[in-house]
Amino acid sequence: MADTVNKTLDPQVDRRGFLKGCTMAAAALGLSDAMIPKLVEAAATAERPRVVWLHFQECTGCTETLLRASHPDLARLILDIISLEYHETVMAAAGHQAEHNLMETVEKHPFILVVEGAIPRKDGGIYCKIAGKTAMDILAEVAPKASAIISIGTCASFGGVQAASPNPTGAAGVQDYPELVGGTPIINIPGCPPNPIAFLGTILHYLTFKRLPALDSMNRPLFAYGRKIHDHCERRAHFNEGRFVEQYGDEAHKLGYCLFKVGCKGPETFANCPAVRFNDVGVWPVSVGHGCTGCTEPNFWDTMTPFYERLPNVTIPVAGIVAGADSVGKKVLGVTAAAVGIHAAVGIGKRLVKGKSSDQE
Amino acid sequence: MATYEKHHCWSLLLRLFHWMFVLSIISLVTTGFYINNPWTNTMIEGGTTSLAMTYMRYIHFIAAYTFASAVAIRLFLYIFGNKQERILDILPVTGRNIKNLYRILLHYSYISDSHDDRLGHNILAGGSYLITYFAALFMILSGFYMLYPEVSFWQVWGVKLLGSQQWARFLHHCVMWWFLFFVVIHFYFLIWNDAKHPEGLISSMFTGVKFKQKA
Repeated sequence: MADTVNKTLDPQVDRRGFLKGCTMAAAALGLSDAMIPKLVEAAATAERPRVVWLHFQECTGCTETLLRASHPDLARLILDIISLEYHETVMAAAGHQAEHNLMETVEKHPFILVVEGAIPRKDGGIYCKIAGKTAMDILAEVAPKASAIISIGTCASFGGVQAASPNPTGAAGVQDYPELVGGTPIINIPGCPPNPIAFLGTILHYLTFKRLPALDSMNRPLFAYGRKIHDHCERRAHFNEGRFVEQYGDEAHKLGYCLFKVGCKGPETFANCPAVRFNDVGVWPVSVGHGCTGCTEPNFWDTMTPFYERLPNVTIPVAGIVAGADSVGKKVLGVTAAAVGIHAAVGIGKRLVKGKSSDQE
Repeated sequence: MATYEKHHCWSLLLRLFHWMFVLSIISLVTTGFYINNPWTNTMIEGGTTSLAMTYMRYIHFIAAYTFASAVAIRLFLYIFGNKQERILDILPVTGRNIKNLYRILLHYSYISDSHDDRLGHNILAGGSYLITYFAALFMILSGFYMLYPEVSFWQVWGVKLLGSQQWARFLHHCVMWWFLFFVVIHFYFLIWNDAKHPEGLISSMFTGVKFKQKA
């Protein structure tokens, strides 16, 4: 039915939706159900943390995923437990008023900074400007005063698509600018886009326990990025049994076999997609027959492509050759064998010319 | 007619290392190619309980531990082995070794026929083995990083040295090719040397004994 009264933009979240959202976050965080009341209490009574949300080089996909979650309660819950002071997509203010709000929050209140999008470094950072200031300047102004930084999406975490080789604007993630950030703790929630549950879980964890969740060595929260996709994949049994899709649309594909041979990057990607899934209808790429593209990993545009092959291609700079590792390997092996053959032939030739005298050393 | 005398060259431990290394590399490369691009498909071949990938991975991991143990033995022998096995015998840092490197280069390019009279590896051979052990250490580190990606020790070092899992996988695969190049060159120069200088080079890896002409 059409949403004639525009319920999805109604900022009020009902109690049922509120409890449901907290329960989902608790499950994602791996907390026992005894902790749910504490989560609910923290979300309901704590002073709503102020959040400044900065957009740099990005597609707004992360924000869209958050706001247009098919289950509207999730977006409303997030907007209910945080006080969004500055967010270019959803804020009512515009122009000077918006910039004033931003500075007001930064100067006078504790806040959490959420960054969406990469920050370009090349040519003084002129490739991303908002209100006449470069992304680097804005980050330097806002980040040191934040109590924590959440880099949402692969762009803010690791640079994303605009950092793909040859990276014309020198794009990089927030954590690549320690000189601008100044010691503020950074938490990365990569993904293209990331699951809103990972963001919600991080915020609720912060509200409930007054500290950030445990992180892995790439600053990703372990509750969401602690396990490989491959280890929780519903098609893992087919992998173990050696039942593979050979090409899209074949019989094995229709039977739902493992997508390893058509380039699924599940074995090298850390995320909770198979467990938490997307869109409240229990889907994620592999469940609908497409391999994982590894979007939560650094430089995935360079290292996970070609998306339908297992390994990246080898580039030989001077010769301009771009080919698969195995085809380069076979050629070098052929050259080695040829060199060995030539060496042997020279030896035999010399022996024929000089006779056998060389044996008497 | 030249007369030869026996010289003990390689200890039992070194020969054990060598054959552990050979067998584990054969298993690792074979199963590694399967794991990268499985050439069987039990859906097509009709198997129902073959667990093909599971067994390939199982063999790969057993061979990997054998490989790591073999490399550990070799590194031990570099320090505590007999005279021919120690690292100073193959590094071009002493006058004797630099002279050998020079002579062996001339010898291998058919410019000179003079053969250095030494019991252990020549410097070129020893150097190529040293590069291979570095490649082996890389394979061990990247392999453990992929086997235990969630163990913090391997994760911290793996991320620092190699980056993401995918990058580790890629480099693990590329460095594997070195071992195949090495096998071709190793076999060729073994046969070449054995044909030119009858000192029992090939059998020495079974018996530990080389033969030298009596002066």
